[in-house]
Amino acid sequence: MQVELGHYLALAALIFGIGAMGFLTRRNALIQLMSIELMLNAVNLTLVAFNRWNPSNHTGQKFAFFVIAVAAAEAAVGLAIVISLFRLKKTVRTDQADSLKH
Amino acid sequence: MDLSGIGNWALAAIVVVPLIGALLNGVFGKHMDRYGTQLIAVGSVLVSFAFAVVCFLKLHALRELSPEENVRLVYHWYDWFSINTPKGPTTISVKFAMDALNGVMALVVTGIGSLIHIYSVGYMSEEKSYARFFCYLNLFTASMLILILGSSLPLMFVGWEGVGLCSYLLIGFWYETPAYAAAGRKAFVANRIGDFGVLLGMFMLVAVCGSFEFDVINQNAYLLTGGLDLGSGPMAISVATVATLFLFLGCTGKSAQLPLYVWLPDAMAGPTPVSALIHAATMVTAGIYLICRLSPVFALAPATMAVIATIGALTAFMAATIALVQVEIKKVLAYSTVSQLGFMFAAVGCGAFAAGFFHVFTHAFFKACLFLGAGSVMHAVGAHGDADITKLGGLRKYMPTTRWTFLVSCAAIAGIPGFSGFFSKDEVLVGALSVGHYFTFAPWLGYVVFGLLIVAATMTAFYMFRLYFLTFSGEYRGGPDHGDAHAHDDHGHDAHAAGHDAHGHGEPHESPGAMTFPLVVLAVGAIFGGYLWVGLVNVLNHDAHFEPWVTWLEPALGSIGHADHSNAIYAVILGTAAGLIGWFWARAWYFTPNESPARLAAAWPRLHQFLFDKWRVDELYDATILAGSRGLGLVMAGFDKAAVDGLFAKATATGVQAASFAFTRIQNGVVHSYGAVMVVGMLGIAWWFMVPHVKLHASEPTGTEVKFVAGAGLGYEYRWDFDSDGEYDTEWTAERTQTHDYAGKNLSAPIVVFFTPASGGTFGAEPRALSAGVGDVIHLNANELGAWQKDADQATLPYLQVREDGLYVRANSAKVRDGMQPTDAELTIGPGRSVRIGDARLTIGFLARATVRVRNAFGYERTTTRSLNLRNGGSAGETQAHHDGGSAEPLAALRAIEANQP
Repeated sequence: MQVELGHYLALAALIFGIGAMGFLTRRNALIQLMSIELMLNAVNLTLVAFNRWNPSNHTGQKFAFFVIAVAAAEAAVGLAIVISLFRLKKTVRTDQADSLKH
Repeated sequence: MDLSGIGNWALAAIVVVPLIGALLNGVFGKHMDRYGTQLIAVGSVLVSFAFAVVCFLKLHALRELSPEENVRLVYHWYDWFSINTPKGPTTISVKFAMDALNGVMALVVTGIGSLIHIYSVGYMSEEKSYARFFCYLNLFTASMLILILGSSLPLMFVGWEGVGLCSYLLIGFWYETPAYAAAGRKAFVANRIGDFGVLLGMFMLVAVCGSFEFDVINQNAYLLTGGLDLGSGPMAISVATVATLFLFLGCTGKSAQLPLYVWLPDAMAGPTPVSALIHAATMVTAGIYLICRLSPVFALAPATMAVIATIGALTAFMAATIALVQVEIKKVLAYSTVSQLGFMFAAVGCGAFAAGFFHVFTHAFFKACLFLGAGSVMHAVGAHGDADITKLGGLRKYMPTTRWTFLVSCAAIAGIPGFSGFFSKDEVLVGALSVGHYFTFAPWLGYVVFGLLIVAATMTAFYMFRLYFLTFSGEYRGGPDHGDAHAHDDHGHDAHAAGHDAHGHGEPHESPGAMTFPLVVLAVGAIFGGYLWVGLVNVLNHDAHFEPWVTWLEPALGSIGHADHSNAIYAVILGTAAGLIGWFWARAWYFTPNESPARLAAAWPRLHQFLFDKWRVDELYDATILAGSRGLGLVMAGFDKAAVDGLFAKATATGVQAASFAFTRIQNGVVHSYGAVMVVGMLGIAWWFMVPHVKLHASEPTGTEVKFVAGAGLGYEYRWDFDSDGEYDTEWTAERTQTHDYAGKNLSAPIVVFFTPASGGTFGAEPRALSAGVGDVIHLNANELGAWQKDADQATLPYLQVREDGLYVRANSAKVRDGMQPTDAELTIGPGRSVRIGDARLTIGFLARATVRVRNAFGYERTTTRSLNLRNGGSAGETQAHHDGGSAEPLAALRAIEANQP
């Protein structure tokens, strides 16, 4: 079977969907962070795949590196927030993190 | 006496001095002792009286020089403001003028006012709000003097309102008692109703006469005989009649006539000197004064005069019947005042201005004396508010001065010969009897008025002597019930009464000198005031032809023309008889108490109760006007609660609250719900970019060329179909602008039939697109075709059908012309041509319709169509439709614009 662009995109969409659903449905902040990472990586996959089918330059690959860097920074900040949340609430469940409401 | 050293500024001084007194007592009264207060109050009125005397003497001296003219002293102080009238601008000045009429009035107001001020010093000596009382009393005197000395209607109106205000303040002087405060309000409201009439009358006079000055209005009174013109031409009713009716409405309020008299009996809630000064001697006569002041105007309005005379006589009669059965001193006197005011109005209504004003003059003395006497009695027995005469009696041996002065005044008001009331009442009766044919529409009216007045005069004598006998004859019956009086409330007047009488169980006693002195002076006036009419000297000389009062007033008053005095002797006889009968009657029933009155009351209990309840007029007003306005108030309150509070305020608040509730649910602070919303939004945006969106625009055609422009989008490609045959005329192209020439198109393209209906036999009505579509039959409306029949017997509309090569026309029996040529043949007309049917026209146009198919980078496609009615190269409106498929579009009937065509 010839692997086409559509296959890559479908896989990326699947991973992105899993990440989005995980982010929306899970209440554990760590798992939500992991879900965000899944979505970012799905985007990376599409970027690289598009680059493979448009090989005249490497825009997609460059962009993917940026996304990885941003994801690392986001993970650092996100984990710091999770630790702060745990210190504040003694839990990492995001449905307890409703101080904005009150 | 040489008075030339005193200028006319003294006129202003008459007014200003009491005003200063009121200011001083009003501002500094709290910090002054009683002596200071009474010195200022009484002193200012006495000074004012002195100025009035000086001015009067000066006026008198001038009259000696020119006895026939209406000599006036005028003091123009300053200009107040200017307004524009229909007759040009006029200035309203603060200007005081004294002539024969208001000279007398000024003397009465300041003279009797001084006496009542002196009396008040004794009567109110225990009052806590001493300075407030004298402040109001002085303010009243000043207002009354502005009213009578003001030389123009607005200035008079200032005084008119001022006395109304003071009346309100003084009726409600003991405002802690709710009933008294309510009486004050009632007086104020009744007067306000009248004041509205005064204002309207005033405006009518100034609109016609062009000035507010009394002398100008009186000189120009003839202008007022024209019909009232409210912009639609003069009416049958004259300005004078309408204006004077409005003014009279004000007089009924101020002078307590039907239907606005109801406030005066309640006004007795005020301190007794107030009743004497304001509600008997001066303020209530303001209405008479106003009519006398404008008597030349009133004399021109016989209809108004008839109304005045009738109202006056009815009031005199009705109030007298009420006074017959009342048992409280001041109530009897109050209704007596209403009744006597009715006499005055009856007189002026019959054109006897001098007589009516003379009754004002004499009435001021004896009624003030009666009220002050009543006050003296109440003071003696410790009554509060009012005194029940059935519980008095025998007071003649305790208070001889009060008794004698009261008796004299009773004789005067009853019209016992020799006393002042005899002269004035007889002149009133003579006036009623002499009016004759002045009322051309009702010559009998004078006799009716006369009859009512005679009956009222008899009743007057009866109830006054009833009052006198019950109060002063027989044995003392114990006085008012003090338990009631003290339960009533606890203000200064009560304390005063109790202080004197050791809780009311002491003997009645004569009042102090400050109170008896004014009584004596007023009683002397009540005896001798009447001789001003006939002239005391002339009586002694048997010269009955010189009447100083009439001679003095004549130049200042209007006239109704020649009155017929031939019946005067009957008036004198009947008037005298009325007084004497009333006296005998009262003496028989009340000198020694007997059962006759009670028997009569028992014989007609309902009539007695009806009179005792004062004809139930208050109840009538309560049930009609007041209930109506209360009902309106309830409706308004309900509206306020339901609509304003409920709907506008609460519903708005609830709406905002509900909206904010919805928004607070969204703003719930839970991170993952924000995430969910974000995802939904992203999906929406993604869908928008996945599907092509494009608008198609057709520009104004150039000849038969139309330029189409499709909307731009990222990666869009277009395919065009210009002839609606369902096949695309171009390949996919990125070019979004296309120009297409529709000239010489084959007829497989859709056509449009433009129909121009006949309009009055000519072309030019708005054309409309009827139908287009191969195979369609067009049905015309015969009404729109004009003269289309060739033959009236055969009237069949033409047959029209859209076919592939144009419009097929079969004329049938209609007039059909191809160009200018009539034709009976069947024909088919192609695009760009027209055919006439009758006076209407059919033109074949065609539809410039383009369809564009748009494809974006994702491969999604979308179709948009735009149509333009083309007619011989002219242009037309357009329409647009969006389709997701590429199917052919049914033609719509479209608005079209008529092109220039031969």
